[in-house]
This record gives sequence, C-alpha cells and structure tokens, in this order.
Amino acid sequence: MYYFILEPTRNNSDKLFTERAKDLSRQFGIASEINQSSPARSAGELTQIALMKNYSTIVAMGSENHINKVVREIMKAGANHTCVLGIICTQGSSMLFEKWGFRRPEEAIETLKQRRISKFDIGFIEPDIYFLTSAKIEPKNPVKFNIAVDQWSAEGIITRAEISSNLYILLERLIKEKSVIRSALNIFGGKENSKYEHSIFKGKSVRIETIPKTSVYVGTEAVTKTPVLVYRKLSGLNIIVKRDRILSES
Amino acid sequence: MKQQVGTIVGSSVHLTGAIKDSSDITIFGSVEGEVSSDQKIIIEESARVKGPIKANEIIVSGLVIGTITAMQRIELNQTGAIKGNIDTKELLIHAGASFIGKCNMPDRKDKNLGEEKESFSVEVEPDDLDDSDKEIAEEAEKK
Repeated sequence: MYYFILEPTRNNSDKLFTERAKDLSRQFGIASEINQSSPARSAGELTQIALMKNYSTIVAMGSENHINKVVREIMKAGANHTCVLGIICTQGSSMLFEKWGFRRPEEAIETLKQRRISKFDIGFIEPDIYFLTSAKIEPKNPVKFNIAVDQWSAEGIITRAEISSNLYILLERLIKEKSVIRSALNIFGGKENSKYEHSIFKGKSVRIETIPKTSVYVGTEAVTKTPVLVYRKLSGLNIIVKRDRILSES
Repeated sequence: MKQQVGTIVGSSVHLTGAIKDSSDITIFGSVEGEVSSDQKIIIEESARVKGPIKANEIIVSGLVIGTITAMQRIELNQTGAIKGNIDTKELLIHAGASFIGKCNMPDRKDKNLGEEKESFSVEVEPDDLDDSDKEIAEEAEKK
C-alpha cells in the first residue's frame, strides 16, 4: 500500500500534474491513500500517521522542503519501520529534480509501480534534523570559520558552505579586487573583478563553527545556527529510483 | 549524489592534521600535517605544506617542508621548493626549482654502479652546484 503525501499546489501546472498523478495511480492499480499537507496537518504529522498505519511505501510529492520534512519524520522513527520512500520532486531548481524529477506524471507513477529500490545516505544534524539534500550556510557577509573533520581541522574565511548528505563539504569564498586601479585595469582588460575560491573535502563527521553565528539552512528552511555537528547515516533510507536507461551508440 | 571529486584546499584555508583521500588532492592553501592520497597530489604555487606527503604521483609548484614519498613520480616545477627527503621511482626537476634534501630511488638499477647496488641516492644543495658539476653530469650522461 502506498501513502501519498502531497504538498499544497502552488500553481496551475503543479495542480494539473498532481491531479493526473492521482488518476494514474488508480489506473496503474496502485493501492493508495492520498493526502495533502495543510497548516492543520503538516507533512511531518501525515508521515507519522503513515508509519503508524504500517504503509509499505510513503510517497512525498512536492518541493525539496516538503520532501525533506517527510524524510526527517521517517528517519526519526529509526529502525522501527521497514518503509520505502517514493519521491516526486516538482521543484525544477532542486538537486533532487535530477533523480526524482519527472516531465510527465505517467513516468512518475510507472517508476513508483516498478519499485526499483536503492539505499541512500542521509545527513544528520544534531539533535534531530535529517536531510536528503544538503545543509547550507550562506551569510550575508564573509565570516570566519573553523571546521573539524575526522582527523583534521581547518580555518579561514567563507561566503558560503554546503554539506551534502554524503558529507561532501564545499567551502566557497568570494574574493573581490580591492584596489581601484587594478579594478579599472581588469575592466579594460576584460577580466573579472571578483572570483570564487573553492575548497572541497569529505569526511564522516563535520563540526563547523562560524564567527559570528550564522543560520544553517536545509532547502529554504532555517533549521539551526552554527556551531553544528553533521554526520551521515550510511544507507539510511530505501528510496525508489528511476530505471536505468540503455543508451544506443548512435 | 555520489561523485568522485577529490579534495581541494583553497588558498585562504589553513588546515592542521592528517588528510587522506583515495582520489586526487589539490592544495592552494597551507597545510600542517600528513597529506596522503592513493592517486595524485598537486601542491600549487600558493601552497605551503609542512609535513610528510605520500601519493602515487606528486606535483610540486609551491613549498614543501617534509618527506615526500611517491610510488611512481615526483615533478618539481619552476616555482616549487622542497626542503626534505624524496623517495620515488621517477623524478623530474624543472630549472629554477629548489630542492634541499636527499633523494632515494629504490627501484633504480644503475648499470654503472653494478647490479649489487640497488638503491640510488643523491644529496643536492643548490649552492653546491656550479658549472663544473653540470659538465661532469653531462659527461656522465653521454657515457
């Protein structure tokens, strides 16, 4: 049995996609209960209900924020469930769209029906925040940071930091040309007056601190403030994925 | 979401401790501690590393203070400087580079030295080299 948790639709095309997906799930013979989250009953509460009713599959349909809320509740339930997550991401700008974005509702329902399952790492921020995408720190001005990963630590200045669920860490700093003369020369020479400098690391646990304290976002939701301790739950969740495509040589 | 991206230490980052990666490591900033990779380590011009380095291949364009061990090859570029011992099969030092230390090439069997002597080591101090040294080296190469 499938338990669909839909996000309230934001525009007409989303509404059409959702309605078509509902119809198709019946046509494809998927036994399901379809619910839409609302201020009265949040996505988290609906997930708890689905877990209580022992549904084998919970399908989260909507934006990255909505999907992360469902993931969070499933992960909070811990090892007490054997539930599989189905995802239909409707937010084109999300990194989830690449894997779980569907152009046509038929494609989405077919993928859910085929039920090809893969295990995914889930990011975890203490005390109880789980995420499938990434946690971001995006201060308005450059901030000093201190990061401790496994056996090493580092310090420096960042304008953005992103920690993905499999604990790839991206630190970004925007460096602007301070000298007016050089800036002018750069403009005439067709060069940029600012450049991004990146650091990329990976680890098993990350502690990141900034001075001053900065908000940590999952999607567009501010979940906590620095300092944060981030872990990964290896193969933490079973998720339905698209079937592989066989590409022809031509 | 799994990708094979190596480690990159940005130029404004100061890192302390041991970093290890199965893929490439590129350093632009400063590192104090052991750096090891199963593949390639690139020390860029702006980088300063204080500590031992181990990898399959190592390219140095910045400053390294410590022992360098490469399974295959070490390349020291024009802007590079090494203060420490080197252990490698292949070594390439570009003109203008600075190397102070001892080089050990364990697999190198120099015919002139005979089969018994399996390791080849040389100590180089930049100030010790003069034109006569270069002539001797050239003559030895011709032989």
